[in-house]
Amino acid sequence: MSPTGVSYWGIPGYVIFWVLFAIALGLFAQRAYFLFRLMRLGKPENRFDRIGQRIKTMLVELVPQWCTLKTVTRTDRAGIGHALFFWCFALFFISYIIFIGLAGGFGLSSLIERTPFETVYFSILDIAAALVTLTLIVAAVRRYVIRPQRLEPTAEAGFILMMVFFLMVLHVFGGAFDHAARGVHASWPPLGGALAGLLRNAGLSQGTLEAGYRGVWWLHYLVILSFMVYIPRSKHLHILASPVNAFFKPLGPKVVLEPVPLEGVETFGASKIQDFTWKDLLDLYACAVCGRCHVNCPAQLTGKTLSPREVIHNLKEHLLEAGPGLLARQTEASSESPSETQARTEPKAMIGNVVTEEEIWACTTCGACQEVCPVNIEHIRKIIDLRRNLVMTQSKMPESAQLMLRNMQSRGHPWAGIQSMRLRGDWTSGLDLKILAEGDNADTLFWVGCTGALVERNVKATLSMTAVMKAAGVDFAVLGDAETCCGDPARRAGYDFQFQIMAEQNIDMFKSHNVKEIVTSCPHCYNTIKHEYPRYGGDFKVVHYTQLIADLIKEGRLKLTNELNAKLTYHDPCYLGRYNDVYLEPRRILQAIPKTKLEEMERSRATGFCCGGGGGLMWIEEQPGTTKINQMRLEDVIKTGAETVVTACPYCLQMFEDSIEHKGLKDSLKARDLVELVEAAMKQS
Amino acid sequence: MDSHKGVLVCGEIAEGKLAPITIELLGAGRKLANDLGEELSTLLMGSKTGGLGPEAIAYGADKVYVAEDNLLDQYNSDAYTQVAADLCRKVLPSIMLLGHTDVGCDLAPRLNGRLGGGLAMDCLELSVDPATKLMASTRPVFGGNAHATMVSKSARPQMATVRPKTVPAAERNDSRQGQVIPVEGKIDPSALKVTVVERIKEAVEGVKLEDAEVVVSGGRGIGNAQNFEMVRELARVLGGAVGATRPACDEGWTPVTLQVGQSGKVVSPKLYIAVALSGAMSHIAGCLGSKVIVAINKDKEANIFSVAHFGIVADYKEVLPALTAKFKELLSK
Amino acid sequence: MNTIVCVKQVLDPEIPPAKFKIDPEAKQVIPPPGVPPVISVYDERAVEAACRLKDKHKGKITVISMGSAKASDVIKHAISMGADDGFVLQDPAFENLDSFGTAYVLGKAIQKIGGYDLVLCGRQAADWGAGQVGSILAEILGLPVITLACDVQAVDKKVRVKRMVNDGYEVVEAPMPSLVTVSSEIGLPRLPGGMGLMMARKKQIPVWKAQDIGAETSQLDKANAHTEITALSVPTRKTECEIVTGGTPGEAASNLASKLIKLL
Repeated sequence: MSPTGVSYWGIPGYVIFWVLFAIALGLFAQRAYFLFRLMRLGKPENRFDRIGQRIKTMLVELVPQWCTLKTVTRTDRAGIGHALFFWCFALFFISYIIFIGLAGGFGLSSLIERTPFETVYFSILDIAAALVTLTLIVAAVRRYVIRPQRLEPTAEAGFILMMVFFLMVLHVFGGAFDHAARGVHASWPPLGGALAGLLRNAGLSQGTLEAGYRGVWWLHYLVILSFMVYIPRSKHLHILASPVNAFFKPLGPKVVLEPVPLEGVETFGASKIQDFTWKDLLDLYACAVCGRCHVNCPAQLTGKTLSPREVIHNLKEHLLEAGPGLLARQTEASSESPSETQARTEPKAMIGNVVTEEEIWACTTCGACQEVCPVNIEHIRKIIDLRRNLVMTQSKMPESAQLMLRNMQSRGHPWAGIQSMRLRGDWTSGLDLKILAEGDNADTLFWVGCTGALVERNVKATLSMTAVMKAAGVDFAVLGDAETCCGDPARRAGYDFQFQIMAEQNIDMFKSHNVKEIVTSCPHCYNTIKHEYPRYGGDFKVVHYTQLIADLIKEGRLKLTNELNAKLTYHDPCYLGRYNDVYLEPRRILQAIPKTKLEEMERSRATGFCCGGGGGLMWIEEQPGTTKINQMRLEDVIKTGAETVVTACPYCLQMFEDSIEHKGLKDSLKARDLVELVEAAMKQS
Repeated sequence: MDSHKGVLVCGEIAEGKLAPITIELLGAGRKLANDLGEELSTLLMGSKTGGLGPEAIAYGADKVYVAEDNLLDQYNSDAYTQVAADLCRKVLPSIMLLGHTDVGCDLAPRLNGRLGGGLAMDCLELSVDPATKLMASTRPVFGGNAHATMVSKSARPQMATVRPKTVPAAERNDSRQGQVIPVEGKIDPSALKVTVVERIKEAVEGVKLEDAEVVVSGGRGIGNAQNFEMVRELARVLGGAVGATRPACDEGWTPVTLQVGQSGKVVSPKLYIAVALSGAMSHIAGCLGSKVIVAINKDKEANIFSVAHFGIVADYKEVLPALTAKFKELLSK
Repeated sequence: MNTIVCVKQVLDPEIPPAKFKIDPEAKQVIPPPGVPPVISVYDERAVEAACRLKDKHKGKITVISMGSAKASDVIKHAISMGADDGFVLQDPAFENLDSFGTAYVLGKAIQKIGGYDLVLCGRQAADWGAGQVGSILAEILGLPVITLACDVQAVDKKVRVKRMVNDGYEVVEAPMPSLVTVSSEIGLPRLPGGMGLMMARKKQIPVWKAQDIGAETSQLDKANAHTEITALSVPTRKTECEIVTGGTPGEAASNLASKLIKLL
């Protein structure tokens, strides 16, 4: 007899069941709706394209637990534990629906209970319960004993672990009491059966056993309901939010920056919490506080105050705190005047109260946080949105940022004039190149980038590039003096207006020359022109030189025959690697160079550690910390024993030259751009 | 135009004495007056000028116009302009010389505006064509990238502000004869619209930049405020003054009063040591007059090497301590 | 509090020295290709001073620039920093004027605009650097003038200016309306914010000709110029830099000291 079929103090069990359910559901729904309304406070954003692909993405992340399995590394295998836990608990969840809901609530117990189906299912659940308990113990030991950097030994986490464990215990005991009360002797389910035996032999009366069964059953039910109520009120909200977040994840470029409107706005960027889009706010719900972003952030690892985990956590806390006030504005009945309500419910400015300027300016936008995040949070765009507010509304920024942005405005590039000692088109002197004049057309444009044209060290790489392309017979043109910055440093520093002006100018210029394909040496230019220019009407085929050269080698148009005899390591630039998943081509090129031994760094490819030059930090002074990012990366290089560190980005090259000199290793360690090696390996004609 | 004759030096008094710039102007003015075959006069304005008249004569002036008034005690734009302009209208000099100092930079344009003459500021070289009696003034333009020679064909007086330490100072000859003429006329206080509210002397550590025989300057490459101490230490050991480029001042590593350059101080010491600065023209404009320029920079392409006489291509952090130590050792002998 | 700021568009002062070329015959500078002109360094600081006053006291900032049609770029830059209005003064008669001619034209424009409390100029132009226009302009307009300002405040009906002097600074006051020339010590000019950039983008900058401001061409006759340039040259510095070396930078330093000691 199902515990719901009995009356308690005159009230039928079914009634109690459904009343409890209604209360729990009500509390759950109320909270869920509240959170939904808070999310809707955010600005609109269209993430409803390609619904089919989105559904697929969500299911892949959820069902086979790709969300956590993708985060598994040699040193952090917690993702396996989570996947295991998830699958096992999913089985439990189904059992709740069937054995509690259908059987208990809908009175179908006679069809379901004491059937072979139940025996088999409960046997599986016993195994699942053991596995779950195992994962819980491992999780608890990790979090509270071993205490890895990324996990915080909070009370909340402990409470959840206990609750789940309690559910396992209650499930097993429930089954055991049931068997014992009915006098069933069975070896399946294994745990339940064994426990039933213990209960029988404990000398408890039939009445006690039956009461025990009912008691455990209702306790189990209560704990399940409490858990349901608790989920949207804790970090376990990620259970609901993360599949939704997976659905809405960016399908194209990984960092989606909304253009700043040029009309009809009073502030720019994000000042108050409701200035973010609803997707940004959804991100906050999806966070499970796993801390992977925290332990992969180059700023955090070099002692800056910035932690992506803290940023997301603080924003979430702030949303929950300020949200009700904002929602109150939407309600009609109030004794206050609208302006009074407005004033009373005005959220505090985020910058300075929720996120500090020091944190905001420490970010190199390297993308490590987003890469390792199981729930697809987009950290970077929030930082940039905050920067936009600082720069475009408040005019507050480090002086180094101001100097760089002033230079972008008046000179069209971030490198201060006199320091560079050269003009934009100087690098072309003495070379036989097709320099586009007004009215000229070119199918393929070699876009050099500011650093490659203006900074001495990087001009060498530019010259290598032109030599390589010519040797391979690539027909290309350059812009010479007419080339200005792609706008990336301005955009990353939050000066979006300047970026848009430059983007539009460049797009016009490309179109005026009927350019079809753009080849560039700089991953930042590559990323910006390829992914961000289309928003402004510029759709071109954009190729990074590593992709071009890899193709040229494959097609046999480029023969690398000179032996370099080099022991080297390759540093994946963030904007080429993580941002664009270009990992193979540079390595293929290195493989094609005779007599080179490539020793990979531990942190490479998707886990590559930033050089410290992105996000405008090539110019913006690094925030105070324990060491510099480029110096920490150099340690990775040194560990490989390589004599040459090779990269494919002008910022990375500069950063390595700087750190090598700082460490006094100029004689034993060289920094090279990959194209320089290619030129050296080419047979000189 | 023909009625304008002679050279008038608008001198400066500093702490009761003839300022060094005045003596330089007298030197330059004497040469111009000789080339013109005309007189050299000087105007001295202050509250107590006694004794300075004869001194100016000893330095070459034929006439010294002395304007004494309490309102002239410290530089006051309106008062000085009024007195100098009135005198000019009486004396009608063909050429008028002032120093390119903060007094001269304020006074000269105002005088020029009032008198309708022709003015060239920050001159490096002055010469007179005895035939045409026209003064040619050569001055730096475009941040020092070029030199322009200016002439005033008809506007009088022909005015010039002269950069300190560029022209040789006059030689003193106490046997020279001349006249000291008091300037008449009271200054009307109500006509003085610009009033000085307060003057604050910024305590400058050590030697004053403009007067120093040795200057050690740090630039953006120093990197942080702490390391600037190395620059100061070297200056101390050499008994010199500390200078800085505009970026270093912008960063707050030194007070703005130590900025050497086009918009800062122009210095011409015997030895100028440029540490970790690239050598922007606007900075070089401020130190080009130095006898010997030494550059220490890790970038061998830095522009400073194109104007330096000696250089070391290395990180200043590795050079300065050894340099300071060696100088200390050599100077103690 | 209303201000008028005079700005000039000049050749970029930060071009590499090796690229600086002149035409000695025409006595002009040849701008290198692909280098856009910029707002004169000191004039930009004058705009910054005006914006700081507007931040505190509200009012209107009008910017004027005598130059070519491209000068509207510097006016727009000033507007993006916070100025309200601007005018370009362009006329063949305005070309190649000396300081007096320039001050005359600016004076006429300022008289046409009227209603100002303060006129702000840079202390000198970053190109020819004559350094006189501000003072001559003040004389023409009959305004008290304060030069070399590193801080400009408005207190009651007076302008209170901090000026860098030889051994420190002084604080000077004058009743408004007056004219102040601004030096670079005022600090880094603000980066135009989003609102400013939006405003500047939309703004049309009117061009005023000689007749619009009542400038008499007889006054602008080149024959009446007070100063003229008779020669322009690029100074050649004959310095061979002797690079001092050593086994280590420290050794090189030692060698250098030994060489220089005879100067001291």
